[in-house]
Amino acid sequence: MPISKDTMIEAMNVNKEYRRAGAIIHALNDVNLTIKSGEFVIIQGPTGCGKSTLLNVLSGLDIPDSGKIIFDGENIARAKEDRLSRIRRMKIGFVFQDFNLINTLTAMENVESVLWPTVLRTSEIERRAITALRDVNLIERKDHFPVQLSGGEKQKCGLARAIIHRPRVILADEPTGNLDPESEKEIMDLLKEINKDSDTTVVVVTHRDKLNSYANKIITMKRGKIQNIK
Amino acid sequence: MGLRIWRKGVLLTLREKRTFIIFTLIYTLLIFLTSLFWNNTYENGFTGSAGYLILIFLIVSLAMSLLYAFILVSRKRRDWATLKCIGYTNKNIISIISGIIIFTTLMGLIIVIEVVFHYTAILAYLASADIEFDLPSILIELVPILVTSFLFIGVQLFSIIIIYSKVLKVRPLIALKRVGE
Repeated sequence: MPISKDTMIEAMNVNKEYRRAGAIIHALNDVNLTIKSGEFVIIQGPTGCGKSTLLNVLSGLDIPDSGKIIFDGENIARAKEDRLSRIRRMKIGFVFQDFNLINTLTAMENVESVLWPTVLRTSEIERRAITALRDVNLIERKDHFPVQLSGGEKQKCGLARAIIHRPRVILADEPTGNLDPESEKEIMDLLKEINKDSDTTVVVVTHRDKLNSYANKIITMKRGKIQNIK
Repeated sequence: MGLRIWRKGVLLTLREKRTFIIFTLIYTLLIFLTSLFWNNTYENGFTGSAGYLILIFLIVSLAMSLLYAFILVSRKRRDWATLKCIGYTNKNIISIISGIIIFTTLMGLIIVIEVVFHYTAILAYLASADIEFDLPSILIELVPILVTSFLFIGVQLFSIIIIYSKVLKVRPLIALKRVGE
């Protein structure tokens, strides 16, 4: 399938400040960027440079003080909470550094949980969960609880949860931050495979330079500003 | 869809065995005592302390429901935040929490009905076997149990409405914070 180069996410003059212990921190300072559909983007930079804040703002989890975030043609910077929830449910898959699996649910149920609030039939949800778990090579662990899974397996489960609803974009915040090098490679290979096979835009926030080889766009941040895009 | 989320709330309840057992026993005791005193007032009118005791049990039930809901929201803040991240609305999360609370109350109610049913069965057996006993023929009638059930469900719904503001305060960003941060 040819990769479409339509704009998926666009940040225009985005600013975000925090107040911490009386001091104002400019987390994002006049940030402008464009992420096209089907791209694999890595946002990197040192700790505290604003890369996670940028990811939060791009996904509608945080509201910028000023500027616009155009997500799939819609300005989400001022969207209401219910609309943002709907966008996240339909169009975004999240991968977390700490996996964020629900400990009282099995791997399969964790993956299915994304689709519980939808109108899909239970049998269709199960079918999709099995496909997603198969895609990340975790099908044999589907009935295991998170405590019974290794770090790499937990992240695979998180990845299956991120793709079950066939999102337009996967946003990953340090997805390999808690993994050994072998699992790190496995997860990044899977992300790349998803990116290639389904034309899903992937945005990964990381401080590890060695992941750069996976990206076709690298955004480097420093002190709340985009220093470099290549 | 709403029913499915509610059912998943029930699933989550059953997986949290310790909390579920503790609160089910508390509700069982409260429903049993309220029904018993309601039965007395039903037979004798609102005389003596029975009416006050019913009111006290209902207030305790409200306090217990609020405590349960508070524990559910506070202890699982990260889970709710994660669900919000992946697209759950506040209403979806309240559906899960109400599923947990209402199911626990219904379990308490079923246990009370079971106890009353077996009590009646034992009395019937003693009577048929001509064994003398000095126990009331009916422990609690059906009407007081039904009235109590409706009151308790109403109290639970009230506590769910109160806890809604707490769910609104759970920001999805919490999910992205590192563990221990």
